[in-house]
Amino acid sequence: MLTKLKILVCIKQVPDTNASLCLNNGMPEYDEKTVYVINRYDEYALEEALQLKDRDLTAYIHTISVGPGRVQKALRRSLEMGADEAFHIQTQDDGLNTPYVIAQTITQFAQHTYDIIFTGVMSEDAMNQQTGQLIAAMLGYNYATGVTELSLIQNTITVTRELDAQESLIYDVPIPCVISVQSSTQKPRYPSLSNVLRARKQEIAIIKPDLAIPFAQTKCHFTMPQKTTQCKFIEGSMLKKVTELYSILHKNAVL
Amino acid sequence: MSILVIADVKNRTVNPSTLEMLSAAKEIANKNNMPIYILIPFGNISGDSYCSNEFKTCVLDLDIEQYRALILVKYISTVIREINASYIIGLHTPFSIDYIPALSVEINAQCVTQIHSLDVSEYITVTRGSHAGKLDQHIVINETPIIVTVLPGSFEPYTITDVQTKEIMIIHIPEKDKHAYCNFITKDSKDTSLDEADVIVGAGKGIGSRENLNLIFEFAKVFPHSAVAGSRIVCDYGWLPYSKQIGITGKSIAPKVYIACAISGSSQHVAGIKGAKTIIAINKDPYAPIFNVSHYGVVADIFEFIPQFIDFVQNNT
Repeated sequence: MLTKLKILVCIKQVPDTNASLCLNNGMPEYDEKTVYVINRYDEYALEEALQLKDRDLTAYIHTISVGPGRVQKALRRSLEMGADEAFHIQTQDDGLNTPYVIAQTITQFAQHTYDIIFTGVMSEDAMNQQTGQLIAAMLGYNYATGVTELSLIQNTITVTRELDAQESLIYDVPIPCVISVQSSTQKPRYPSLSNVLRARKQEIAIIKPDLAIPFAQTKCHFTMPQKTTQCKFIEGSMLKKVTELYSILHKNAVL
Repeated sequence: MSILVIADVKNRTVNPSTLEMLSAAKEIANKNNMPIYILIPFGNISGDSYCSNEFKTCVLDLDIEQYRALILVKYISTVIREINASYIIGLHTPFSIDYIPALSVEINAQCVTQIHSLDVSEYITVTRGSHAGKLDQHIVINETPIIVTVLPGSFEPYTITDVQTKEIMIIHIPEKDKHAYCNFITKDSKDTSLDEADVIVGAGKGIGSRENLNLIFEFAKVFPHSAVAGSRIVCDYGWLPYSKQIGITGKSIAPKVYIACAISGSSQHVAGIKGAKTIIAINKDPYAPIFNVSHYGVVADIFEFIPQFIDFVQNNT
């Protein structure tokens, strides 16, 4: 009989994609009113883990997030969706930590405890697309990224990785492994009432990061993106915008 | 010291965008006077036309079907050490991003992904889109080795003049590291609508729901040879099939006109629209990054603008 799986899902809390931000001395600052949510790809990763739980294949699902106090909201949400326990690795801010440092922190927490470590394929804000690969390399685990489908047969996960609109790649990844999810076959679930009630009472374990890990930040600065085109804004009343766009499209011989 | 360019794979052959990485490598080589190596990660991906006297070429003795990230990491890091590579350049595609960051653990180097430009002066500075495309992040390279992945379409492709295949280094891989074959699945590609359309109307997350897509379809109908496509998120939500997805993980398009409706314009999406002759963006957020790559911009709510535009066309033609 298959032993039940111990699963860790890595979660990043990110600003809602509509959040407005400004630059202060070359460093980004989000508006105070910014709403933070679970990174979309991490939500898919959590859903894939919960699918395994639904089939009674898991011993437990743990979630982990590295960041400041506010990330507990994302962890709470993961419990409401159905994760069993949540762990918060407290840092000042997660904004500029390199993916390498985040991966080191998670690796140190995970040790070799878990059978499957799920991550999203990337974060929507930083878009580094590295954390899953780095955790796997640090643990020496097999892994796959960009996963759109997975099926578990005994101690092997068969993954489908999407390469582009035309092509995908299917192969087996033996457990223990790291799976970075691109999208899930099921929509991430809404929390059930019973899980919401359970999560309300649950404590989130707070862990101080090991100081042996240098929380090196990338030496960098930020600017507004360079414009690759001179965008001509069509101004005026709605009618003026409509007529002017019409004439532009007409000149381009598509209308 | 040297520069290593790792060829990317597309349709089971070398991705022609590999030539763009060679241009980036040349910029660094011109400053640092380092030799450039090009590594073809598989023996059966028609890499011959990328072999030249200008560069040193090495090929892993592995079939593409034997792909496993950890195997590539193991042998490419050996190559990196052997040639003492200071700059390791890969392409930012779903295929290559699977293993390139993992090299950084093996060779103990920083990896910076998705760079779109390079500034070579006293120091080398790489620039990448961040914060969902709203900002550019400039990173000064003060330590080597360094690994970077380059966003496709960011550099002009380099032209290789003297193709020769005499002096290729073949990296032997023992049988024990050759895995069971993985399957490449090519989806039914009968859907050529995005390749043939003169006008492509793209829908972003801002359309809000699947039902609202009808508005985008009505808009597209105004144009004689048109098609509807979407950003990654619209396809992830199931509002459009993946065959209609534009971007790094989807299709690259080259219509006469591309109209981005309620698309914010992440670098993932923008990489797929560079071939369009004219790019028009309609978005209610005047700071949406999509305007940085558009020729014309309309700051408006699509739900107000598009119905009026359709009315106008119907009354004037």
